[in-house]
Amino acid sequence: MASCAIKMENVTKRFGKVVANDHINLELREGEILSLLGENGSGKTTLMNQLSGIYYPDEGQIYVHDKPVTISSPKDAFDNGIGMIHQHFKLVDVFTATENIVLGLDGEGKFDLKAAGEKIRTICEKYGFDIRPEQKIYDMSVSQKQTVEIVKVLFRGADILILDEPTAVLTPQETDKLFDIMRAMKKDGKSLIIITHKLHEVLDVSDRVAVLRKGEYIGDVMTKDANQQSLTDMMVGHSVTLNIDRPMPKDPKPRLELKNLTVYDELGVKRLDDVSFTVMGGEILGVAGVAGSGQKELLESIAGLYPVRSGEIVFHNPQSGKSENLVGKDPLDIKRAGVGMAFVPEDRLGMGLVGSMGMTGNMLLRSYRKGTGLFVDRKQPEKLANSIWKDLEVVTPSTAFPVRRMSGGNVQKVLVGREIAQEPAVLMSAYAVRGLDINTSYTIYNLLTAEKMKGVAVIYVGEDLDVLLELCDRLVVLCGGQVSGVVDARTITKEEVGLLMTQHRKEGA
Amino acid sequence: MKKFLALFLALVMTLALVACGGNNAAPAETAPAETPAAQSGDSAAAETPAAPEASKLKVGVVLVGDENEGYTFAHIDGIRKAAAAVGLADSDIVWFYNIPESEECYDKCIECVEQGCTLVITNSYGHQSYCQQAADENPEVQFIAMTGDTAMKSGLANFHNAFNMTFESRYVSGIVAGMKLKEMMDAGLVTDPHIGYVGAFPYAEVVSGYTGFFLGIKSIVPEAHMDVQYTNSWFNIQDEGKAAEALMALGCCIIGQHADSTGAPKAVQTAKDNGQAVYSVGYNIDMLAAAPTAALTSSTNDWSVFYTETFQTLLDGGTLPTDWAKGYEAGAVGITPLGPEVAEGTAEAVKVAEDAIKAGTLHVFDTKTFTVGGAEVTSALTFDSDGDWTNDTNEGIVDGYYHESEYISAPSFSLRIDGITELN
Amino acid sequence: MAKAAHTTREPVILMSKRGELLPPWKSWGIRVIGFLLSLVVSGIVIMMVSGLNPAAVFATMLDGAVGTTKRSWVTVRDAMTLLCIAVGLAPAFKMRFWNIGAEGQILVGAIASAACMIYLKNLPTLLLIPVMICASLIAGGIWGFFPGLFKARWNTNETLFTLMMNYIAIQLTSFFVALWENPFGSNSVGVINSQNKQGWLPNLLQEGYNKDFGWNVIIVLTVTLIMYLYMNHSKHGYEISVIGDSENTARYAGIRVNRAYVRTIVFSGAICGLAGFVAVSGASHTISTSTAGGRGFTAIIVAWLAQFNSVVMIVFSFLLVFLQKGAQAIASTYNLSQEVSEMITGIILFFLLGSEFFVNYTVHFRGKKVAK
Repeated sequence: MASCAIKMENVTKRFGKVVANDHINLELREGEILSLLGENGSGKTTLMNQLSGIYYPDEGQIYVHDKPVTISSPKDAFDNGIGMIHQHFKLVDVFTATENIVLGLDGEGKFDLKAAGEKIRTICEKYGFDIRPEQKIYDMSVSQKQTVEIVKVLFRGADILILDEPTAVLTPQETDKLFDIMRAMKKDGKSLIIITHKLHEVLDVSDRVAVLRKGEYIGDVMTKDANQQSLTDMMVGHSVTLNIDRPMPKDPKPRLELKNLTVYDELGVKRLDDVSFTVMGGEILGVAGVAGSGQKELLESIAGLYPVRSGEIVFHNPQSGKSENLVGKDPLDIKRAGVGMAFVPEDRLGMGLVGSMGMTGNMLLRSYRKGTGLFVDRKQPEKLANSIWKDLEVVTPSTAFPVRRMSGGNVQKVLVGREIAQEPAVLMSAYAVRGLDINTSYTIYNLLTAEKMKGVAVIYVGEDLDVLLELCDRLVVLCGGQVSGVVDARTITKEEVGLLMTQHRKEGA
Repeated sequence: MKKFLALFLALVMTLALVACGGNNAAPAETAPAETPAAQSGDSAAAETPAAPEASKLKVGVVLVGDENEGYTFAHIDGIRKAAAAVGLADSDIVWFYNIPESEECYDKCIECVEQGCTLVITNSYGHQSYCQQAADENPEVQFIAMTGDTAMKSGLANFHNAFNMTFESRYVSGIVAGMKLKEMMDAGLVTDPHIGYVGAFPYAEVVSGYTGFFLGIKSIVPEAHMDVQYTNSWFNIQDEGKAAEALMALGCCIIGQHADSTGAPKAVQTAKDNGQAVYSVGYNIDMLAAAPTAALTSSTNDWSVFYTETFQTLLDGGTLPTDWAKGYEAGAVGITPLGPEVAEGTAEAVKVAEDAIKAGTLHVFDTKTFTVGGAEVTSALTFDSDGDWTNDTNEGIVDGYYHESEYISAPSFSLRIDGITELN
Repeated sequence: MAKAAHTTREPVILMSKRGELLPPWKSWGIRVIGFLLSLVVSGIVIMMVSGLNPAAVFATMLDGAVGTTKRSWVTVRDAMTLLCIAVGLAPAFKMRFWNIGAEGQILVGAIASAACMIYLKNLPTLLLIPVMICASLIAGGIWGFFPGLFKARWNTNETLFTLMMNYIAIQLTSFFVALWENPFGSNSVGVINSQNKQGWLPNLLQEGYNKDFGWNVIIVLTVTLIMYLYMNHSKHGYEISVIGDSENTARYAGIRVNRAYVRTIVFSGAICGLAGFVAVSGASHTISTSTAGGRGFTAIIVAWLAQFNSVVMIVFSFLLVFLQKGAQAIASTYNLSQEVSEMITGIILFFLLGSEFFVNYTVHFRGKKVAK
C-alpha cells in the first residue's frame, strides 16, 4: 500500500445534536489529487477544517505522513505541512501580496520583505502564477487573490494543500488555469485535496474521488473508473436524472421590457450599459455572464433597489393590460403600483431574509403591511410558514428558529417559498442554486418551471452553463454590463455562450 | 459584526462605569457643579433656638466624595478630630460617602434622620437645597449645609451654613508670594511683577480668594498685577496644569490657585526645573510633595475648629448660629510650612500679618488698598440672592473695609479690583 | 461556528453553537445560575480583598437597597428612571442605530420640564403635569431628530453625532442653570417650587411629597408596556427589527429605511426626554448638568442585557440600581472604597453577559460524552 500524506481514522465531529462527521476514514496518498465530493451539508468542509486546525475532532486520530499528530490550531497544521485555501479569502486589501503572505508568520523573516519577495517570485515562476509580489490586493482579480492564498501556503512550506471549492468564484478559463497549476504542484510532489460540487471538474482534475454523504464516508473510486452518473449515485445514494424537465413556454407575451437601461454605481462606474431586452410571461429567461458583468445591478434595477441613470423598465400588467414604467420607483412604489414582483436575491440572508427571525417573521416581510391597523397580523404568515415547512421539506426545529442558523439549502427554500407564495407576475432569481445540493437544486428548478407554466415571467441568473442551457427558454448573455447576445437556449451550444460571455460588443457598432 | 458588537459593548460598559464613577468619587469633567462647591464665610449674626438633647448627639454626615478626594478628606479629618475632642463614639456618626449633588442627597439626609441623627451635615455647596428641603420637613433635627448661603434667607431655625474665612489665609499666602516677588525683582530676575492665578469658577468665593491673595502681594509689591485663568472645574489636574502653563507663557512668575488639584504646582515645578524663575502658591494641602522647590506655601482650612465648636454647642444644649465663619482668630485657617526657597524674612512678615489679622487691626479688604475703575470704593453688595443688585443684608463697606463673611458665612466679595485681569 | 479552546495540545474544552433554540426555562436557568455563580465569585473576591464575611457584605447590600421602606422606594424610583431610559433606547439599538445620546436627550427633556415648572407654575397640577410630559417628549424628540436626519440624509455616524449632542445638551443645561440659578450666584437651580410643589409628581399612596413614587412607577411601566407592544406587535416595530438585521433586506422589502431611521430615533429620543421629566418632576425637582448622571450609558447595558425586550428590562434596571445602592451601603458601612463595590458590579455583569454565551453555545469536555 502506498504511503499516505494524510490518513484520518474514525474522525468524528459533532455540533450539538448534529453529527457532522461520523467515524470518517479518509486517505490522501502521496502525490495525488483527491476530490472530496459530497452534497451540501455532507461534512466536507468540516472534515477539512479539522485538518487545518480550525476544528478539533471529538473522536478519532489523524496521521500525517504515517505519523500520528494532534492538530489543534492552524499553526499545528502549518507545522505539519498542511495548508488550506478557504472559500473566502483572508487577505488585507491594502497590503501587497508579499505583506499578506508574511503576515502572521512568526520569528525571523517576517520583516525582511525583500527576501520574502524574492522567495515568492521563485514560487510564482516555478508554478506559473501571474502575480507580482508588490501588487496590492485591491488591484487583483478574484483569481489572483486566490493565487495569493495558494502562494501563502506554499511559502510556508506546505506540501499538502486543501482547496475548498476553489472554482466557485472563477470563470471557466480561470478554472482551467487553476487546474493546470494543481497538476504542476502534483508533479512537484505535493498532495492535494479539492472540495467541489462540480462533477465535470472532479472528472477533469482529480486522480481519485472520495465521497461523503450526510456526514458519513461512502467510499472512494479512481477517477478513471468513474463517470458523472456513477459519482452522482454515490453522492445522493440513489440515481438522479440529470435532465431538467423543460416544457415549452405557454403563450409567451411581453411582460417586462427593458429599454436602453444604463446605471452607474456609487463610484461613478458604469455597471449597465444600454441594456435592452424583453422578458415574456410564461418563459424562463436565463441571464448568463461571468460574475460581475452586471447581473446584480440588472435585477436590483428592476426591483427598484438600484438607481437608474437612463432608460426604461416597462411592465405590462397581465390583469389590467396597462403598461407602467418602473424606473424611479422604489420597491414600495412598485408594490403599490400593483406589480407582482418576486425577487430571490443573490445575498439571501443579507437581502432576501431577516437572519435573526424565524420562518414566520420572514414570511411577514412581504405581508406585514396588510391590514389598516397599527399591529401586525401573524396568523397568516404562520400558516404560510408551516405550509412551506411541510411542502418544501425545510429542515428546522420550528418556524421560530432563526433562519440564519439553518443550512444554506433550507434558507433558500424559505426564501423561494415565500417569493412564490406572493403569486408574482415577475419572478427574478439570482444564483438560486448556488451552494445547494443536487436535491434542493432540483426542487428549485421544478418550482421555477412550475411558475413559468403558471404564466409568470421568470428571470434566472445563473453561473452553471449546463443548467442555464437545460432550464431556460431563452438566454440573455451579459458581458461587461452590456448585452452581448439574446439567444435561444434550446439550440445554442455551451461553447457559443462561453464565447458571448467574453466577447465585448464593439463600441458604437 | 459579532466582533463589533463585542467591542461596542465593551465601550459602552466602560463609558457607563466611568459615568458611574463620575457620579461618586472623582470629578467628572461633564459635571462641573458636582464638586465641593462654593465655600462661604461667616457671621455671628442671627442666633436661633435649637434644643438638641444635651445628653446625646448623633451625627449624620453626607459627603460628596470620600477619603481619596482632598476636599472631602479635610472634612472627614475635621469631623474625626472634633468627635475625638468632644468624646463622640464611632457609632454616633453615620457616614455617607460619594453622594452626588442630586435628590440622593435629600434621600441620605432623610436616612440620617430615620437612623436617629440629631445633626445632619452635608459638605458640598450643591447639597444645600436638598439639605434645606430635608430641614424643612424635619424641624426637630439640625442641618448644616457646609459652604452654603441660603440659611439666613430660609427662615428655618434648624438650618445652618458655615465656612472658614479662607480669604485671611490667602492674604497671608499673598504676603509669602509678595516677599518672593520682591526678592526676585531686587535680584533682577524679574522686571515685570506679573502674577498668575488658576481659578476654578468666576464665583464670589474664588473672587474673594484671589483678591485676598493679590492684596497680600500688593502689600509688599504695590505695582504687582495679576491675571486669572478659570478652569471651570474644581478638580482637573490637566486643565489646571495647562492654565498654569498658559499663565507662565504670559510672563507670570508666581502662580496662585483656587482649584483643588496639584496640576498647577506640578506644571510650575516642571517649568522651574527647565530654568524659568517661577513659583507656586497652593491651596488646601501642602504642595511640597508635588513641587519640592517651586512651592512657597499653601493656604489651608482646618475644619475641626468648626466641628468641635458645633458638637460641643449641641452637647451643651446650646443653639447653633445660622451662619458660622471664623478665620485666623479661631485657628480655622492657616498656611502650610514654608517652602525651601521662600525669601528671607518671610516667616517674620507672615507672623506680623497673622498677628495683625488676629488682633483685628488688619482688614484684608481695606478700601484704601485697592481701587475699582481708578476710584476708591465706598459701597458694595454683600449678598444678593435674587439678582436684583440690592443688598439682602447690610451694606458691605463700613468703617473703611469690606466686611467679608460677617453677615453670612459664604464669601461674598465680588468686586473686580484694578490690577487684576480675568483672562476668560 | 464552533471554535476549539485556546489549548495548545489536547483541548480539554470544546465549544460549539447549539443546533436548536433552548426553551425559555433552560435559558433563564442558565442566566440564574450565572447570577448565583457571580455572587460566589464576588464573595470570594470580597474575602480576599477585605477579609470581610461575604454573607454580611451581601446582607449589607440588601439592607442598603431595600432595608427600609424609604430605601425601597428610592431603589424603585431610580430603577424606574433607568428603565424609562433603557426602554427609550430599545428601538434605536434594535435597529442598530447607536444612540449614545441618551444623556443629552434626558437633559433636554429635563430642561423642558423644569422650564414648565418655573414659567407655568400657575397652571393647575392636573394640567401642568401633562404639559410637562408633552414638553419633555418633544424636547427629547427634537434631540433625536437631528442625528436621525443627518444619518438619513448624509449617512453621518450616529455614534459620534449623538455623543456630540450630549455635549451640546450639557452646555445648554449649564446655560439654563445659570439663567434660573437660585439663589443668585450659586450656579445651581435649587429645588424648584419647594414651597408649593407645583409640577412635582404627587404621591400616590400617602399624603406628603417624596414619601412614595407611585406615579413614577405608573408612568414608566405604562411606557414600558406600550414599548413592548410597539416593538413586538406593531408594523413599525417589525420594520425596526428588519432594519436592525439588514438594511438591504429592509430596502428589498420596501421599507423606507431613512424615514424609519428618523421616525424611530425621534421616538427613542422622546422617551429618553420623558425620562428627563421623570427625573425632574418625579425625583430631583431641580436640574443640573448631572441630572442625567451617566444613566444614559448605564441604560445601554440594561437594554443589551435584556436584549431589547422592554419587559425583561424591568428586571435588569432593578438589578443595576440594586447593585448601585448596595455598593453605596457597603462603602458607608465598611468604609470600603467605592471601587470594591464597583468590582462586585463588574463581576456580576460579567457573569450575566457570560451566561449569554452558554445560552447560545454548548460546551463539551474532552473524553466525556457531551454535556448537553
